[in-house]
Amino acid sequence: MLLEVRNLTKRFGGLTAVSDMSFALDEGDIVGIFGPNGSGKTTLLNLISGVYEPTAGQLVWQGRELAGCKPHRIAEAGIVKTFQNPQLFGELSVHDNIAIAGHLRLKRQAGWRRIATLFPLRGKASADLEPRIDHILRLCRLEAFRDAPAASLSYGGEKMLGVAMALMCEPRLLLLDEPGSGLGHDEIRNLDEVLRDLRAHGTTLCVIDHRVGFLGKLADRAIVIHHGAKIAEGPPDDVLRDHAVIEAYLGRSHA
Amino acid sequence: MKHLLWIPLLAVPFVVHDNVVLTILVFTFIAGILAVSFNLVFGFTGQLSLFHAAAFGLSAYATYLSMIHLGISFWLGMIVGVLFVTLISVVIGAICFRFNLRELYFAIVTLAFSELIRLVILNWNSFTNGSLGINFTLTPTLWVPGRGVIPVTGTLMWYYLSLVAVALAVFGYSRIVHSWMGRCFASIRLNDELADTLGIDVFRYKLVSFVAGNIGAAIAGSLYSFYISYIDPNYFSLDQSLAIIAMALLGGREFVAAPIVGALVLTALPHVINVNAEARLLIYGLILILTILLMPRGIVGLLARQRRAA
Repeated sequence: MLLEVRNLTKRFGGLTAVSDMSFALDEGDIVGIFGPNGSGKTTLLNLISGVYEPTAGQLVWQGRELAGCKPHRIAEAGIVKTFQNPQLFGELSVHDNIAIAGHLRLKRQAGWRRIATLFPLRGKASADLEPRIDHILRLCRLEAFRDAPAASLSYGGEKMLGVAMALMCEPRLLLLDEPGSGLGHDEIRNLDEVLRDLRAHGTTLCVIDHRVGFLGKLADRAIVIHHGAKIAEGPPDDVLRDHAVIEAYLGRSHA
Repeated sequence: MKHLLWIPLLAVPFVVHDNVVLTILVFTFIAGILAVSFNLVFGFTGQLSLFHAAAFGLSAYATYLSMIHLGISFWLGMIVGVLFVTLISVVIGAICFRFNLRELYFAIVTLAFSELIRLVILNWNSFTNGSLGINFTLTPTLWVPGRGVIPVTGTLMWYYLSLVAVALAVFGYSRIVHSWMGRCFASIRLNDELADTLGIDVFRYKLVSFVAGNIGAAIAGSLYSFYISYIDPNYFSLDQSLAIIAMALLGGREFVAAPIVGALVLTALPHVINVNAEARLLIYGLILILTILLMPRGIVGLLARQRRAA
């Protein structure tokens, strides 16, 4: 078992955004998280990635407790998240954005030896990031924008760059927050290819999306949440026909 | 290409024999070290530190006092100054960054720490001679081929010593800025929450930047105090901090060496237009305002953009 979420709860003042949530992810899973607006999907990802500290509950990652750890520790452990609204280093080039995201790769490869590269005559530690950056640029179809400032990208391009940066972190579990929202048809197809490529390489994915169609085809398993609580879990086709799920999405009269 | 700009500076004393001009350049180089190191923290990491003048002054006092009380040479005294400033910076930086102080909160708290240190220096009469400061005659010594170990005296020797020091500072900070560590600093300046989720330890790299910047200030402080042979609590004043900010803004924040241009302008200005200390502050203020309004990227930033456009 890769990640086990146990009774995870997050309260903001009187509001319970995530309530007593439990589920488990195995290596190589692709799990879709569905739920209407405001149901707590993004909060759930923010809890797993350490942006928020849980009020209660546990996050057990490969047998280790992660709840309460800082985001950079969780990223280092192998859990990386993309943002619903792309977060980028706007004034830097697309290449440099991805290079910054290569920090963990460099750290894993060189360890403390990377300090030595600050001194003259010891070569560049970043040199061995370049082939990887080029590979990711190609995979995400961003080669043409390599030297353009990240802020000049289209919305779809920005979202792709967010995914590219997450890939550069070499996560074992990638959390994607509505990666498809606001994307055009071609961009969605491109994203789909990237995610399938990731799956082929054994990366575990946890994807939030509104568009049940897109996610439904990709995911092996669906978790539906409503008002911060899990209301269904199982194969996507079954779950999306579930009574409670239809009620949550469309209201009681359709159920 | 950029490195070639240093060569004419080596030749300046052969062409210019005017002691005033060379003296202005010595002050420019030392202030340049101060401004370049400040800009690592401010321009490249995005943290407005008002502790820089304090690091400068602390090292000046630590260098002199360690030489007197421990009987060591200037260069060992400078190392004592640098180590002392490193220690203090780690403590103050750790407090500020652990409490996640940002922008003006960080500026105010670092200012409070420098005032605290200034008050200790001011009131510890038996050790620091309080507000009177200390005049001294000690000088650094250098080994010169053919002449053995000689004291550094006279404008010419100070010219080369300070030129080498500022060149080394620029070289060192360039190495940092253009490395993976510089990328971490940039990520913190631009979006520290994103940096955090990408696995960058924001606390650690803010602290590294703060300490590395203050080390430059410490070296500048040791050199400056021995150039003018005088230390007093004014090293720590807010005016100093403001002058350093003005140098960085005026020169340009985006390039490692650019603050030296700001240092040159602000060092030469009082000599070009002869004004008293109060009026000088007024001019600093005006320059700061005009720079921010008319050339937010500083002199070097403006020149670089024009060259790109041409």
